[in-house]
Amino acid sequence: MPSREIQALLDAAVDAIVMIDHRGTVSAFNRSAERLFGYCADEVVGRNVNMLMPQPWREEHDGYLERYARTGIPHIIGVGRDVEGQRKDGSRFPAFLSVGRVADSDPPRFVGFVRDVTTERLALAGIQAERDHAEIRRREEQDARRLQERLTHVSRMATMGEMAAGIAHELNQPLSAIATYARACERFLESAEPDLPETLSSLAEISLEALRAGEMIRRLRQLVSSQPSERAPTQVNELVRDLSVLMQADARVHRTQIAFDLAPTLPLLQADRAQLQQMVLSLVRNAIEAMSDAGTTGRQVVIRTRRLPDGRIELSVCDNGPGVSAEMVDRLFMPFLTTKASGTGLGLAISQTIAQGHGGTLAYRANEPAGACFHARFNPVEEPV
Amino acid sequence: MKEVAPTVYIVDDDSGVRSSIRVLMKSVGLPALPFPSAKEFLEAYHPRNPGCLVLDIRMPGMSGLELQQALNERGAVIPVIFITGHGDVPMAVEAMRHGAFDFLQKPFRDQDLIDRIQQAMARDAETRQSLQEHSRIRARIASLTPREQEVLELLTSGKANKMMAQDLGLSQRTVEIHRAHVMEKMGAKSVAQLVRMVMDLEYRGTPPER
Repeated sequence: MPSREIQALLDAAVDAIVMIDHRGTVSAFNRSAERLFGYCADEVVGRNVNMLMPQPWREEHDGYLERYARTGIPHIIGVGRDVEGQRKDGSRFPAFLSVGRVADSDPPRFVGFVRDVTTERLALAGIQAERDHAEIRRREEQDARRLQERLTHVSRMATMGEMAAGIAHELNQPLSAIATYARACERFLESAEPDLPETLSSLAEISLEALRAGEMIRRLRQLVSSQPSERAPTQVNELVRDLSVLMQADARVHRTQIAFDLAPTLPLLQADRAQLQQMVLSLVRNAIEAMSDAGTTGRQVVIRTRRLPDGRIELSVCDNGPGVSAEMVDRLFMPFLTTKASGTGLGLAISQTIAQGHGGTLAYRANEPAGACFHARFNPVEEPV
Repeated sequence: MKEVAPTVYIVDDDSGVRSSIRVLMKSVGLPALPFPSAKEFLEAYHPRNPGCLVLDIRMPGMSGLELQQALNERGAVIPVIFITGHGDVPMAVEAMRHGAFDFLQKPFRDQDLIDRIQQAMARDAETRQSLQEHSRIRARIASLTPREQEVLELLTSGKANKMMAQDLGLSQRTVEIHRAHVMEKMGAKSVAQLVRMVMDLEYRGTPPER
């Protein structure tokens, strides 16, 4: 039995301390050990320490001691390991056990420090679970974003397909002009008195027209290419203006005029450019198609940006076509609902998803005096005061 | 009335296409006037001005087809050559139905356009000449007395003097005098020529207000 001083020292320790001899017989069992295991020291001292362990350690522990005595090779001494303890009531708990050999003891005696790591484990498990959750969420978000990107891309391709006639027409214009200018130049040069100034100015026009065609293709590529989804502070007006060539091409074919009514100053919007452009294109296409199908005369689409009194940015696309019938209004944004012969029925649904993905809204109102008006509203980037 | 030289009028909202055609016309020595819209052309053009019209079928605002209709309503005879893009065939058919001279798909061969324009200009000159002829005939008809006009009508419907005298309740002699006046005033050497003049007029319908 330890001396009073040593007993006091043992009892003051926070960790449970158990001393055993080379056969595993407990010689000391401190206060913390009593609290931890639920036994009184009397119930444990003199008995095999394996009573404090659950299976399979309970059975194997004598073997460990015997092996150490035989080989002198420590497995746990001085290292410590995660083990499991068993209380008097049979319940188990995770513990960290460090073991030391009493110096010069022969046969060896050992002192074990047992620390209950239940709380730590729980905390760790909590952290891990939190991590797992975060990872799952991250993956889900990533998947959703990828899906959204794919969808935006597909819908963009579909929109482009629908716009193909306009785009072809628009490319045909400069090509046609180039061919005509070139032939005119040949004629000038073939004549007895070549008109050099006219030839030169025609050549200048040819290069301008070629650049125009190139620009058209560049914009097209920009829109068709699957851009990575990324948010950056964006000028809404600029984003709309960049689409104008394409929209005008489409509008021309459908004999529609596109008017821009853009607020002179607008705060920046944290936005995914490609997605918002897709939204605008899709809304404009819908407008053009609705009017074309209805045979509206004097077709006009107005693209308007403005600052709302509550500080939000509104981007609206209004037409003077047939508008949306009362029974359709409630179902407008439902996917796969289409009134068009060739539509996917995804345009508006995707546009709304895009608006919502930007923390905004996309809604419909009837246009005055006639037509449809779709308006998207967004919170701008916080302005520095 | 000021005489205007036959001119190629070009209406296309695309500045490149428009001015390249103007330059091409210049290279073959044809006077040309470009207009960026149907409206501007209508404001500037008078139906008596000869030439031909090269017209983009698709334009914002008033389309080529609508301009063609507006011209028809005004009784303009200027031949119209439509320039169309891809997939505009139904529109081109519509244009032909309303009396378009021809249509060309963009991009077109310059020689094709020049040929069509020259044919159209020739047709226009022909039309205007026969219209002038018609108005001369009409003026002559107007110079006839009511009685002479009755005689003209019966004469061109193939009635003989005797029947005319019966129909009009006149003597055959009087009818003969009227008939001689009609032939003289109309400048017709034979009844056959007179019939052709009147039939041509009826076939062409009412000429435009001048």
